[in-house]
Amino acid sequence: MIRLEEIHKSFGTLHVLRGVSLEIAKGEVLVIIGPSGSGKSTLLRCANLLVEPDQGRVFIDGVHVNRPEVSTEWVRQQVGMVFQSFNLFTHLTAIENVMLGPIRVSGLAPQQARAKAQALLARVGLAAKANSYPAELSGGQQQRVAIARALAMDPKAMLFDEPTSALDPEYIREVLDVMTALARDGMTMIVVTHEMGFASSVASRLVFLDAGLIIEEGRPEEVFQSPRHERTRAFVSKILR
Amino acid sequence: MATEVAGYRTPVRPIVSRTRVVWAAETFVGVLFFIFLLQLLLGFNILDSRLWAIYWPAFGRGIWGTLWFTALILPLSVAVGFVLGWARISRFRSVAWPVAIYVDFFRGVPPIVIAIFAFLIGPSLLPQRFQSGTLGITVAAIALALHSAAYQAEIFRAGFQSVPRGQLDAAQALGMTPWQAIRHVVLPQALRLSLPPLGNEFAVVIKDTSLLAAIGARDLFGLALDAQQNLALTPGSDLRWFLILWTAVAIVYFVMTTAVTQLLLFLEHKFHVRGIEAISI
Repeated sequence: MIRLEEIHKSFGTLHVLRGVSLEIAKGEVLVIIGPSGSGKSTLLRCANLLVEPDQGRVFIDGVHVNRPEVSTEWVRQQVGMVFQSFNLFTHLTAIENVMLGPIRVSGLAPQQARAKAQALLARVGLAAKANSYPAELSGGQQQRVAIARALAMDPKAMLFDEPTSALDPEYIREVLDVMTALARDGMTMIVVTHEMGFASSVASRLVFLDAGLIIEEGRPEEVFQSPRHERTRAFVSKILR
Repeated sequence: MATEVAGYRTPVRPIVSRTRVVWAAETFVGVLFFIFLLQLLLGFNILDSRLWAIYWPAFGRGIWGTLWFTALILPLSVAVGFVLGWARISRFRSVAWPVAIYVDFFRGVPPIVIAIFAFLIGPSLLPQRFQSGTLGITVAAIALALHSAAYQAEIFRAGFQSVPRGQLDAAQALGMTPWQAIRHVVLPQALRLSLPPLGNEFAVVIKDTSLLAAIGARDLFGLALDAQQNLALTPGSDLRWFLILWTAVAIVYFVMTTAVTQLLLFLEHKFHVRGIEAISI
């Protein structure tokens, strides 16, 4: 479904990704963990070309997409993204946030887009909040709207960049519930998160990234319970309390 | 799932709480009170027909002159300022850099000096067929627009830059082209944030049209100066006549600037986003 081959990325003199390869099959849920600054977000952003890799190839459904001939916009329609800080469009209501992509990018008629957006908001449990502005919603509600907004483009896969890190503890559960339901429905997902409960119960595979390299990869319980590498062990012991 | 409080809405605290009617009434009462005060303090009849006979004709023409300059300068300065504000944040330094110099130049020179310069050298730079008696003044008005554009460029730049980077990321992650993202996500937010300082600048633009009188423009201020001369030559005129003249001039400028700033306040209210409430102390 998504394949990253030998991805390198530098920002100035900072070599963030140093040859990362990753493949995720259709319907799979991959969780990426790693210390801050390890390149998790950058790796995720390479998968929808929000960050252009310096070297390496990105494949989506077998198509090599980081070539000038391939439309970047098309790539991003295939892969939805949810951000740590929600990034809802502050000047639009919840339903308008969800409608904007279908109307402007997919060319859907406003009537149809509204019906679709209303259905998606119902799916994330926010049908009643359709006409609220982001500033009127809690963090958890905002993040669920953001998930609905990404789903409105009918993506083949979803990327989650620390979706619960900016949330107050009481709102984490509701977002993880929506993500779990999405995974159960067969969505292909790459999730950067330190929610170990979510990783254990939902992820099919877990990757530990450190200093721009994949250090360890395996089933979540393997990595958590018997990490093979010293650095993985040190990191896991810090986040599993 | 978190508990949803059905029908919950953050109470809206409007920026404009007074209605237009109340506002108009207040102004009317204010003006009446002012006239009453003048009468009381100066023992002077503001409706003295001899006085109005002297400068009423000049007033009519002067207001049209000021309106004409405003109509020329305001839209031009907004258009130029918007483009410059955009160019100012270009990642291409060859675009951003000249704009920075432009802004610094116009901010550092008094508008009246710019107007005089434009008046002196502007016409000679244009082809013969454009030449006419008032060309110099028109060029000077355009120069004032370019002066204000420098300030507005900074206003728009601040507006653009106050939209978080994440908004653009989110728009592009949906598959929008950079242009679509700017058009539908960045611009609406940037312009809303630009409105309050723009209102300020518009008021300055309107008042600064009076500077054109220095080069002989027949605007409200210029013709008021003429009327003042006439008053000085009129037997029996005294200080109070001059005070009335300039009070009337002040009121006209006040009404013009207030009309424009109220329009912007209306837009601000219209694009107000619920949940983002202004602090009040």
